[in-house]
Amino acid sequence: MIRRYSLWLSVAAVCLMAGSSVAQVVTKQGERLLQVQPGELELKIGQIAQLDAFVTDLKGNRLEAPLMFFTRARGTIAVSSTGEVTAQKPGTAMVTVRTVEDRATRMSVNVKVQVAFPPVDHIDLAGVPGQFYEGTTRRVTATAYTTEGLTRTDLEVRLRAKSPQTISIDPFGHVTALQPGSFTIVAEAEGRTTELSGQVIANPVATLELTCRDRFARTGDVLQFEAKALTPTGATVADAPIQFSLEARPDDALGNAAPGQVESDGRFVAEKAGLFTIVATCGSANTRFSVQVVDRDLQGKLEFTGQGQVQDVHTSDLWVWEGVDGRDYAVTGTWGANGDALFWDVTDPEKIERISSVRVDARTVNDVKVSEDGRLCIISREGASNRRNGIVIIDVENPRDPKIISTYDENLTGGVHNLFIYRDHVFALSAGRRYDIINIEDPKAPKTVGKFELEEEGHSIHDVWVVDGIAYSSNWRHGVQVVDVGNGVAGGTLEKPVKIGSYAYPSGWNHAAFPYLNPQTGKFYVIGGDEAFPNGLHLENKPTYPRGWIHFIDFTDMKNPKEVARYEVPEAGTHNLWVEDDLLYVAYYNGGLRVVDISGELMGDLYRQGREIAAFLPTDHEGFVHNAPMTWGPQPHKGHVFFSDWNSGLWAAKLTMKNRSVGQ
Amino acid sequence: MRSISISLGLLLGCFVVGLSGPARGASDQPASTSYWVYVTAESADEVYLIRFADRKAEIVKKISVGYQPTEIEGPHGLTVSPDGQHWYLTMAHGKPFGILYKYATGTDEVVGQCELGLFPATMQISKATGLLYCVNFDLHGDMSPSSVSIVDPDEMAEVGRVTTGPMPHGSRLSPDGRFHYSCAMMSGELFEIDATHMQLSRVLDLDKNEPRVVQEKSHAHTEHGAKDAQAEHGAKDAHAEHGATKDAHTEHGAKDAMAPAQEAHAGHHHAQSKPTWVYPHPDKRRLYVALNGMEQIAEVDLESFKIVRRFKTGKGPYNVEVSPNGKQFVATYKSAGQIGIWDIESGVELARLPTSRKVSHGVVISPDSRFAFVSSEGIGGEAGTLDVYDLESNKLAATVEIGLQAGGIYFWKAEPQD
Repeated sequence: MIRRYSLWLSVAAVCLMAGSSVAQVVTKQGERLLQVQPGELELKIGQIAQLDAFVTDLKGNRLEAPLMFFTRARGTIAVSSTGEVTAQKPGTAMVTVRTVEDRATRMSVNVKVQVAFPPVDHIDLAGVPGQFYEGTTRRVTATAYTTEGLTRTDLEVRLRAKSPQTISIDPFGHVTALQPGSFTIVAEAEGRTTELSGQVIANPVATLELTCRDRFARTGDVLQFEAKALTPTGATVADAPIQFSLEARPDDALGNAAPGQVESDGRFVAEKAGLFTIVATCGSANTRFSVQVVDRDLQGKLEFTGQGQVQDVHTSDLWVWEGVDGRDYAVTGTWGANGDALFWDVTDPEKIERISSVRVDARTVNDVKVSEDGRLCIISREGASNRRNGIVIIDVENPRDPKIISTYDENLTGGVHNLFIYRDHVFALSAGRRYDIINIEDPKAPKTVGKFELEEEGHSIHDVWVVDGIAYSSNWRHGVQVVDVGNGVAGGTLEKPVKIGSYAYPSGWNHAAFPYLNPQTGKFYVIGGDEAFPNGLHLENKPTYPRGWIHFIDFTDMKNPKEVARYEVPEAGTHNLWVEDDLLYVAYYNGGLRVVDISGELMGDLYRQGREIAAFLPTDHEGFVHNAPMTWGPQPHKGHVFFSDWNSGLWAAKLTMKNRSVGQ
Repeated sequence: MRSISISLGLLLGCFVVGLSGPARGASDQPASTSYWVYVTAESADEVYLIRFADRKAEIVKKISVGYQPTEIEGPHGLTVSPDGQHWYLTMAHGKPFGILYKYATGTDEVVGQCELGLFPATMQISKATGLLYCVNFDLHGDMSPSSVSIVDPDEMAEVGRVTTGPMPHGSRLSPDGRFHYSCAMMSGELFEIDATHMQLSRVLDLDKNEPRVVQEKSHAHTEHGAKDAQAEHGAKDAHAEHGATKDAHTEHGAKDAMAPAQEAHAGHHHAQSKPTWVYPHPDKRRLYVALNGMEQIAEVDLESFKIVRRFKTGKGPYNVEVSPNGKQFVATYKSAGQIGIWDIESGVELARLPTSRKVSHGVVISPDSRFAFVSSEGIGGEAGTLDVYDLESNKLAATVEIGLQAGGIYFWKAEPQD
């Protein structure tokens, strides 16, 4: 049978419009040729073209040969099994035409398909007001759009001033008002232009007043500078653009790095001690204000108290609680092992005693949680031999004799990596896709009552934490998701969760989320934690060097969250975290346990500001990987910090501090 | 002929041609031959390269796989390219979609990857199209129809996706590479995909033993549609004979590419047959389907696309593979922790042997039809195993312990020892 795909009449007309600079592409195999016409396509979005493909002998006689068509760029074009090509979005794609036969004789050719961007329809200009004060500078942004609303990212919009005596424009879009008069900014792309006209007017600002409530501060303290523009008569110019800059004289001037930053809204923070001068400018008016910054000087210590060694397997998460008998207990999970959860008496943190264990059919018990009343422990399962993972509910009224009450895997068979217990309900992650909300009022008969799953393509989830009816989940590249699960602020319930807000950052490393209301400022942060292994994970014999940091996202305005600060320990990577009394406890994997002062407003890199209070490296020369801290999760409890370490088990430490009181 | 035979043919030339022939007697079993297989450890995120020679199986290499080191990603399916230069691995869990990895044989280094659907599992490369066909098992969650991803393994890009049924498994191609077969565990269906046109062509309800033809819209208005494809495959007459064609076309008409399977599963049920694997006979137009829920291996005739014979197995038949010489098949009985070795012609189970662990999983047979390599999962922290069975003596020949939850397995090569 000769496979010749002729043009349909309906398609032919379209083909005439489709550009093609290459008549055909040909490949040879022995005495045969595979030919495709046209050899290249230039299409507009929505346009359809038909490829004509056939096999001939060297004399041009057509031969019977089954053919197939496919593309690797399915988002850009679609190609049918008969060679009909439909352009879907701008870009370059290839259609592969292939003979269907053994590899030794198989022929393939590629037809290049260029789908053009639709032409520029309009250009938007933003950033420059109609009235523009002489001597000031603004930044203008120009974006070209198609009629379909697509942004033309493939071209540069050129900017120029029609009135160069009035304004100047630099290559980065900074527009400076030179002298009073009319101005017009012209944006041009693909022959389309947009103009923005206005007036440069005499700058009424004669003087600036710059104030700050403090002359002295510590590194890490955020100072708010207020600048007021005044006319010669002392009237306020409310719309005067005021720019802030910084002059720094660090105490340690021996090649020190940039020691501070000032934001466009006048907030300033220093990383190093020294004399800092904030300069406010508006046209020819300027003024200065200096502050002295001293070291934060947080002399804290994490002193070793005790260890419950686990040296034969990796340890995962922990939970510490006061038991119904008034003693204190902890449970830890195990990773890549036998499916054990280990129970500890930690009443005396100096003598951590392993008291019992529960083994379930799993390779990893990644998460362990205990109910608020201390009676139920729930553990997660991954790697069950029957591939039915789910959760296991355990009676821990007597942690020395824990008893499995029930297992539950309805829609959780793919594995539960993390979970959270909140008011007789379990939030359990299902196969990294969503969290299910499970009623455990009767722990013998758990029942799924709700769930929350993102709709974005490629969505996933890693952890969830619930406070006051709001669930904070960490969703990798989709970042932190804040969901009403009963708080009522957005009408959500356990049965019907309602999303309130979200924030994602580019790395896609969001692994943990913890809410924190700062009592001094009233600001509400969701603290995001990363997890990343760019250098791999070493299961045995040698240490691991993860990366990542803590992200402080200001969620005070739930609809408009902003990332404002970070805590980044160089050469190390974060894992789980906890906040209590303005102290951030971070399990920083190879960086051990860290405690950070997060009181007051937060801005910039808290590590470089000296907000770290103490660090502890849990080094065990007989650990699963010897002498390799790999701190998994922290939890403060009754004056001690308990934390699990992947290589060495359960630890307790005592935090002591100088120069800081909680709530300062 | 199976894809691995091609690779061996290219790699080993005349020697392998010899191996691919009829099974030899124990005395002339090539003692100087070493057999190489890859096996996954699904709960350890590891792949093991095992060599079997001189009746000893040994770990040559343990390869850590995946990109989320503290989470179990679940390496599940394996296949080797027909030229033997690359091996491919499906990772069940990503964020959330699974990933297909391409490794170079020999160095075992990753040379490519692409994201597929939920829980990509078994796969194979067609000798006719050169494309890789992988089922998206989607084992967990709501039981909605899943799909078969079609991937260009050279460029590691998904070039097509065909919707089939809920929990598709057992992705295998016909010996000529023109048709792809898989089962949907939950709906109890066997799916045939036209590998060239990347479209569903036939479906067999394994519970009812009722076949039907699927006609795709894009075929219906072309001169080279499904009709031709089926005719080439010899199915057209068969459908007419069994009356399936008319019914199927009346039901489905000319739907879009996704419609047939979705419609078919509008009211899907939990099938009694619970098929888990399908394997084509190398010479005859037959398929062997593991009916996990019925304790049977079903023999499906490709002309009528109906079950024509049933083999009563042990509990939980899971994987099945037909020997390259076409005389035997070996099935793993997952629930029983056993394998069954069957003579196809007589329909007699020649041997039923225990595996080294309670949960037996995958099976591959060497190109010379002499040895079956069987993975067994183990439970909890128990190590998985690879067992090697001598198909001449029907006895265990060797065992080696590997990582947790040993599962996916694929034959790489047989070669003379130095």
